[in-house]
Amino acid sequence: MFIEILFLLSALLTVGSAVAVLITKNIMHSCIFLLGSLLGISGLYATMGADFVAVTQIMVYVGGIVILMLFAVMLTGGKDFVSRAQNLLGLAPSMGNKWTYAIGLLVAVVFLFTNIQLISNVVKTAPVKTFGPEFPSTVNQIGHLLIKDHVLAFELSSVLLLGALVGAAIIARPRKQ
Amino acid sequence: MNATIVSYLSQYEFFDFLTNLFGKHQSVLAFLIFLIVALVVVAVCATIGGLGTYAERKISADLQARLGPNRVGPYGILQFLADGVKMMTKEDVMPFTADKFLFYLAPMLALVGVFATLAVLPWSSGFIIADLNVGIFYLIAISSLVGVSVFLGGYASNSKWSMLGGMRGASQIISYEIPVTISILLITLIAGGMSFGKILSYQTGLPTNWFIFHNPFAFIAFFVYCTGALAETNRAPFDLPEAESELVSGYHTEYTGMRFGFFALAEYIEVFVVCGVGAALFLGGGNLPFDIELDIIPLQLAQVVVFMTKSLLLYYCVIWIRWTLPRLRVDQLMSVCWKYLTPIAIFNLMGCAIWLVVFHGKSMADLLMGHH
Amino acid sequence: MISLASYLIISLILFVIGLTVMIARKNIVAILLGIELILNAAAINFVAYSRFVTNNLDGHIFSLFIIVIAAAEAAVGLAIVIRFFQIKETVHIDEATQLRN
Repeated sequence: MFIEILFLLSALLTVGSAVAVLITKNIMHSCIFLLGSLLGISGLYATMGADFVAVTQIMVYVGGIVILMLFAVMLTGGKDFVSRAQNLLGLAPSMGNKWTYAIGLLVAVVFLFTNIQLISNVVKTAPVKTFGPEFPSTVNQIGHLLIKDHVLAFELSSVLLLGALVGAAIIARPRKQ
Repeated sequence: MNATIVSYLSQYEFFDFLTNLFGKHQSVLAFLIFLIVALVVVAVCATIGGLGTYAERKISADLQARLGPNRVGPYGILQFLADGVKMMTKEDVMPFTADKFLFYLAPMLALVGVFATLAVLPWSSGFIIADLNVGIFYLIAISSLVGVSVFLGGYASNSKWSMLGGMRGASQIISYEIPVTISILLITLIAGGMSFGKILSYQTGLPTNWFIFHNPFAFIAFFVYCTGALAETNRAPFDLPEAESELVSGYHTEYTGMRFGFFALAEYIEVFVVCGVGAALFLGGGNLPFDIELDIIPLQLAQVVVFMTKSLLLYYCVIWIRWTLPRLRVDQLMSVCWKYLTPIAIFNLMGCAIWLVVFHGKSMADLLMGHH
Repeated sequence: MISLASYLIISLILFVIGLTVMIARKNIVAILLGIELILNAAAINFVAYSRFVTNNLDGHIFSLFIIVIAAAEAAVGLAIVIRFFQIKETVHIDEATQLRN
């Protein structure tokens, strides 16, 4: 019961905020709706018992990326450029004329059927588990996996982060013209 | 498994009566218990936040040889209620050019970020609303919503002073998160877990078992944590986001009435939460500082009293520091964080890891007294 | 009842919205927002498969790495945006037509 309600709320928050990111005209508001969507996704992780991933999601996105985005919006003037053409419903900015929409729809239908064919096996064979309110802790296992099985990726990601840090600092540094 | 207040209560006899009453709607029962406990905790913390404003004024008056608030109630203790009534009845002014949506959202985000941290705050060994096994990590993560709210409050007001205050606040909060998080990481390294229940269970008994005395690095880490926490909660000497001599009052310059009240309340509760976390991680939390046999209910009550005492002592120190030290400049603030606190914190973490390996996880007291 | 399919559908919706944001918006920061949505859609899939199909936590690990990479990508991307703004004084994507100068 808990899980179902949490799932519904998180899903609504995720999808609703994502739609709001798309249709809102103000880039600052878009960033805030992205924050809502990311919080919803962390709720979805929680319904899957992925406690560590859920909290990491909040930690990295709320504490880091969203604030970084807000800073970038402020430093770049915060103007948004919505293309003047609107789509059929007049909500989201348009991506083309009716022909591009028609082609897109066709591709989407074909793609959807292919994907349903591919996924159906997985969905059918997925063991149906009963949801209890208790999930086993994933923290210890994730720690062991990171240090044992995935240690190379772990180390590489630290190098990646260091590179990104130094690179970002060098790129954004104001230079004399 | 995540222990919660419900699973804790379920080991007592009266809980059977409740479970029988609700029959197969157990989740409704759990939800009701969570709701009641959450309401109680939020009400208590709002009162603590309100009393915090009173304490701040009274202690600052003491330090400056004044009287402080003394009209409303005995010793002016009801002053915060009077302030609250005043704030609620004030006109809610919004600047004409403000971003309406963000202007309304910012104080709410601050409150959400602070109240969400209360879910894992350990009042006693049993009374933790949800003893998540990622407890302390969750607390650090969710409290960064306050940084977003400070930034948004500054941006949405559309005023120069608010904007500067908001940008300062956000950059300060995300910078100081790093030494604070590394200091907390050191504690999780010693305890071998991130849940508050686990961390507290290692610190029972005499004060020598507290993690602050576990090894010299933890002792340094406590002060790094305190400095960083002061900066994260925008308290003096790091209160640059609301520096009244330069920025009027920073990111909440344009806020009036209850919205300003929300910001102020969030700040005071956050200070209490930070003090409580410091007490729980380094100073033994609610554990009694001596061994004593008590029944379960007196024990829990005593633990709550001990926890509150430790937290409020730290709270007193925070106010004391605010009215003693002058404010830093922005460049000094950043160099304190990046050139001093962060390297010290990283050195501490390495040192503590080496200590744990070399001495097989024994504390200083164990080594000195020769316990094996 | 919640099943694997419900998570996959949410992930699909998020992916499509992210792609639309990337295509339709002209502000470079908004395009980065779209990229974040797409990365998160992928991460949901990994955790969902890890929970419902396999019984190990490799999917969680993969999501963690996706989050790490998203952070690195956001930092570098936003640095490029800020540098671009310093040169061109705009963040319109159609202005980014030169490889040098």
